[in-house]
Amino acid sequence: MRKFAKYLANSATEQASDTPRLSRRGFLIGAAGAGLTMAFASSGIPVASAAKSISEGAFEPTIWFQVRPDGRVIVNIVEAEMGQHVGTALARIVADELEADWNDVELHYVDSDPKWGLMVTGGSWSVWENFDKLSRAGAAGRTALIEEGAKLMGVSAGQCQARGSQVIAGDRAISYADIVRDGNIDRSFSEEELKAMPIKPPQERRLIGEESKALDIPDKTDGTALYGLDATVEGMVYGRPLVPPTRYGTGINSVDDSKAKSIPGYQQTLVLDDASGTVPGWAVVIADSVHAANAAAEVIKVDWAAGKTADVSEQQILDEGRRLIDDASTGALVVNEDGVDNAFSSADSVLEQEYVTHSVLHFQLEPVNALAFQKDGRWEIHTGNQWQSLILPTLAKALGEKEDNIVMRTYLLGGGFGRRLNGDYCVPAALAAKQLGKPVKLVLTREDDSRFDSIRSPSVQKLRMAFDSNGQVLGMEHHATAGWPTKAMAPFFMPKGENGEKFDPFSIHGAAHWYSLGAHRLRAISNELASDTFRPGWLRSVGSGWVNWALESFIDEAARKTGEDAIEFRLSRLKAEGKNAGSAPNSVGGANRQATVLKRVREISDWGKDMPADTGLGVATTYGQERNMPTWTACVARVHVNRDSGKVTLQKLTLVTDAGTIVHPDGALAQVEGAALWGASMALHEGTEIEQGEVRDTNLNTYTPMRMRDVPEIQAEFIKSTETAVGLGEPATTVVGPAIGNAIFAAAGVRMRTIPIRPEDILAALKA
Amino acid sequence: MIKKILSGLIVIAVVVAFLIVWKPAIDEIDRPSADSFNQEQIAKGKVLAGLGNCASCHTSDPSKPLAGGVDFPTPFGTLYSTNISPHPEQGIGTWSEEAFLRAMREGVSRDGSHLYPAFPYTHFTKVTDEDLSALYAYVMSREAVDHQGPKNQLDFPFNLRMLQAGWKTLFFDGDRFQADDSKGDAWNRGAYIAEGLGHCTACHSPRNAFGAEIADETYNGAVVDNWYAPALNTTHAAPVPWTEDELFQYLRAGGSKWHGIAAGSMASVVHKGLIEAPDDDIRALAMYFQDLTGAEDNAKAAEVAAGHVSQAQGMADPATRTGEEIFSAACASCHYNAPSSLKAARPDLSLNSAVTAPDPVNLLRITLHGIDEPTGLRGLAMPGFGPGLSDADLIALARYLRQSSGQPPWKNLEQHVQDARQL
Amino acid sequence: MTIQFQLNGEAMSLDVPEDTPLLWAIRDHAGLTGTKFGCGIGMCGACTVHLNGRATRSCITTMGSVSGQQITTIEGLDQDGEHPLQQAWVDAQAPQCGYCQSGQIMQAATLLQDFPKPTDEQINQVMSGNLCRCMAYVRIRKAIHLAAGSSDSSSAGSPQFYEPGQEEMSNA
Ligand code: FES
Ligand code: FES
Repeated sequence: MRKFAKYLANSATEQASDTPRLSRRGFLIGAAGAGLTMAFASSGIPVASAAKSISEGAFEPTIWFQVRPDGRVIVNIVEAEMGQHVGTALARIVADELEADWNDVELHYVDSDPKWGLMVTGGSWSVWENFDKLSRAGAAGRTALIEEGAKLMGVSAGQCQARGSQVIAGDRAISYADIVRDGNIDRSFSEEELKAMPIKPPQERRLIGEESKALDIPDKTDGTALYGLDATVEGMVYGRPLVPPTRYGTGINSVDDSKAKSIPGYQQTLVLDDASGTVPGWAVVIADSVHAANAAAEVIKVDWAAGKTADVSEQQILDEGRRLIDDASTGALVVNEDGVDNAFSSADSVLEQEYVTHSVLHFQLEPVNALAFQKDGRWEIHTGNQWQSLILPTLAKALGEKEDNIVMRTYLLGGGFGRRLNGDYCVPAALAAKQLGKPVKLVLTREDDSRFDSIRSPSVQKLRMAFDSNGQVLGMEHHATAGWPTKAMAPFFMPKGENGEKFDPFSIHGAAHWYSLGAHRLRAISNELASDTFRPGWLRSVGSGWVNWALESFIDEAARKTGEDAIEFRLSRLKAEGKNAGSAPNSVGGANRQATVLKRVREISDWGKDMPADTGLGVATTYGQERNMPTWTACVARVHVNRDSGKVTLQKLTLVTDAGTIVHPDGALAQVEGAALWGASMALHEGTEIEQGEVRDTNLNTYTPMRMRDVPEIQAEFIKSTETAVGLGEPATTVVGPAIGNAIFAAAGVRMRTIPIRPEDILAALKA
Repeated sequence: MIKKILSGLIVIAVVVAFLIVWKPAIDEIDRPSADSFNQEQIAKGKVLAGLGNCASCHTSDPSKPLAGGVDFPTPFGTLYSTNISPHPEQGIGTWSEEAFLRAMREGVSRDGSHLYPAFPYTHFTKVTDEDLSALYAYVMSREAVDHQGPKNQLDFPFNLRMLQAGWKTLFFDGDRFQADDSKGDAWNRGAYIAEGLGHCTACHSPRNAFGAEIADETYNGAVVDNWYAPALNTTHAAPVPWTEDELFQYLRAGGSKWHGIAAGSMASVVHKGLIEAPDDDIRALAMYFQDLTGAEDNAKAAEVAAGHVSQAQGMADPATRTGEEIFSAACASCHYNAPSSLKAARPDLSLNSAVTAPDPVNLLRITLHGIDEPTGLRGLAMPGFGPGLSDADLIALARYLRQSSGQPPWKNLEQHVQDARQL
Repeated sequence: MTIQFQLNGEAMSLDVPEDTPLLWAIRDHAGLTGTKFGCGIGMCGACTVHLNGRATRSCITTMGSVSGQQITTIEGLDQDGEHPLQQAWVDAQAPQCGYCQSGQIMQAATLLQDFPKPTDEQINQVMSGNLCRCMAYVRIRKAIHLAAGSSDSSSAGSPQFYEPGQEEMSNA
């Protein structure tokens, strides 16, 4: 998801390119403050000395590191840390080239002092985006340290090499700490110098790709890690929102808090007036404590004038999706190759199926919250957030302030999964604080959080495939409808389709497959009834989550139709030819690499072997989301279907991933495990529906994400590779669902085309 | 109609009885000083007071021991227990031992008025002179508390104390305890405690329309104060027979690994009453009740328990899936057991008396409102899930648990849930 | 009203309404934020603390019911944060976002008290009340086995790499 955030943030202003961008700015190294600071210059190469520029703060605060006089190497991280251990991965890229001793490395989640205002508004990082840049920065640091170390030892730089935070010349050595203390480094590198900086060949890497422990983990085992919920400031009061029955267009007729007056700690209820339109019809209960606010909220009566979606149901949204698909004039043609119509009109037979996914809550474990207050005339928002630059303009509008007068301080995230890309929860906190003239800590209950969630929209898709009389595929069509998050929250990033219509790329990613399946048409349609009813959200893997459910289930159905083995069917159509040949550096190898993961998963799963009764294997594969940044993934799921109870037991998942260079293997494995189980959870356990304009399930009594007892055996493998490092947090999410659906068919002969799959659905299908 | 006629006849009978059983007052005495009783007597009386659990019915405020004021809602109105501390005006300070004995055995106050049978003189009548004398010594040597609880609020005609005399003629025999020579001493000791001071049947037996225990349904189990007191005879629904050891554990520590924990008023019986008694007495009670329930030996019981729990855990019925999911998320972390090693601190709900009881009230109210320390086993507590679980969730959970216990479904769960929320 | 109890071994006296959930009293009044809020209805386990040494869900445990009792939070599980479970958690690299982990560890401590050498099944059953939304379950289970010295029948392990052969890479 973070990769995606980065992509979004940058793509708003720049064209995405296949090449990770190298900073066009120079690099500074100089002693300033507490040690030797290495940082990118914030604009051009400064005339003054590097040390002076650094001490004046004239550097890009998002990427810098320090070697302290005691030898500690501090890597500053401005990233939202939400479980992906991104700080560790980034620090290892730096430290590898810097030749720092990993034991000396510490992460510092940067305190966003106002003087670094840019910091919080800066885009996110990702391994993919920063690998090259950070490597060169580390190499520049090493070069400067070697030069200075050589000087101190009275030898030439050429005689020296760096290792383990030391500069070594023959049998003499000087530590980085000593160099920082005794030396006088003041060095800058131009962009050209930086570009020419030699980067170690992969076989000389000492940290990248090696085992290591994530640096953020120890604090997460003893209660010291600080999340948004833990933010406090002197004099703050607590706020609990009264969330209206419709997301948009709600008004408040009256508020009756007479019953709350006797609750100790209750102060008052604020009716918000939101110029940004983010939280229409909201009121906020103000109290001395969370408990008092909650107790008061129980007895406060609000008379709302609901918006027009008050009666909308999931069924209506799905039906609207069907109507849109049937209307050929709607939507954007994302892919529209010649010959599709011809393929279908000349087809001997056509396979056509509809697939549905229901609403999904983020249910990140920490309900959203925010602390807002004004300090020295400047607004501060303390919270966990994934994409500050997206919400700042909205906050500015709501508060009637300039954007640069608002600072967001980022805390650890108690789960992101895309929920906190949308910072809408900061708005009511800020409005309440402004109205009250006091710091307000807004804490949503779980039920509030669910009702206010930017859910994964329900979706309907129709897929069609044309076959000739020999069972050869002539072409295919894929029509997908859902509420579009990018349209709702970042419309500036909507590209145009072949027919000139704009579309949300994240709602159709994953559908532009690498199979050679004849002429292809891909149509993405925004379901406005969905986006009027709720604010569609980006949820782990976004559209690929529903798109691949349909695509890979459908491919399985196609293989059944032609009588081919499901893996063979795919392999024979994964040809690295033409549009599927791939290109350097990101998608080098093309469809071949997808074929490789598929073959490997066949090898290490029990594919082709006899299974016990009512047990079956299913396969699915994906390239991830973007064709120009593919993460090749294949999965085999093994399930057992209980024909009496309808219960599907997911016994095992086998996954093979090719994500290019793996920087932090254990972290990468954790991401694959988590992503895979998310996929399984959405397929078999969770999911909700819209009822009367709101999500039906708001807490764990009825919303049932996967728990420990449902966890299958997981076997995960990576392809050893030195290709460009790409993202890992999501692709596994998208293959598990269809692999399970396909396995259910193998086990029990019933084809499930809707997720989540409930035991009652299995029983009904078995009876049919 | 028939009911009405019957009631009329009974009222007549009661009035006649009243004329027959008029009781005189017994003279007041000066309050005897605490040191006029010997320490041994007092110590013995303390244990007996514990066995009789006097304090829990006669103490509403821990800072006012034995000063009464505990409410007893009955179908006829609300009764409040009296002050039995030796206070001369508010309590029984001016009662002679004779008056005390008469009250205990005949349900007649010192002034000759009849006591309501919420005071279990129907059981205390079985107690020996010696024990009552010790009990008198103990009670009279307590602190005299100057406190007057609320007045009884009974509907007419139940507010007429003299009618109680009629009740007695119908439902009271007044016999002393008779040892059963075919049983051993310990058994007889258990029976004496249970049937006498312990007045166990008072809670564990169903009562008729007049509030009297139904003679041939003794120990069949009953709902008292919105708690279900399980059957203590062979009609009980416990999947695992009660063994003497488990009864001992339960009565001594407050919980049994095969049956659950002492909640509601049973919690105070164990932790406030029986706590005073020596192990021998508890053992004797255990032996007596084991005999009543026809329990088997421990090893066999363990096997039954393990089998039952395994079966419950293996249950997979789509109809109770929702309840099972709630159980897994909300309950299993404390209530899951390995079938072969059941732990009292993790009461297994498929065996639990709250689940196997014919009335769901115990399960519902504990689930809703939780259990505070020191109910059940010392140190253990359970939070109430009332605010988070909807009625539908609770019903689903109760259905699942009930099915896992192997008992037929409870009826009217919706109503029971709503009632339990009010408790 | 004033409620007295022991918090991490120290006498604590808080003036809060009796119906205040222990969770918020610990966090907002006593200032210990290691205990987290996830669902508020006793079904996620993020708020798990120990009451008299056993796991309980503090979001639904009222202050009225902890009077005189001993409460232990993640901060008090071990003075130096080096409880065997905490070490195992680091060794297994269990946390992702980490938000559920205080509760997981506190629940696991009770698990090991009752099941010193737990099987996978026992871990699954006892720990299923603790939701991990990051789905770090495989490692949580592994960490428990590590701390208990019991055998882990699941496949949780270190990352495996596969090097495809030449011809595999060149053509499908
Ligand atoms: S917050 Fe207490 S169990 Fe979820
Ligand atoms: S580590 Fe994020 S919820 Fe468990």
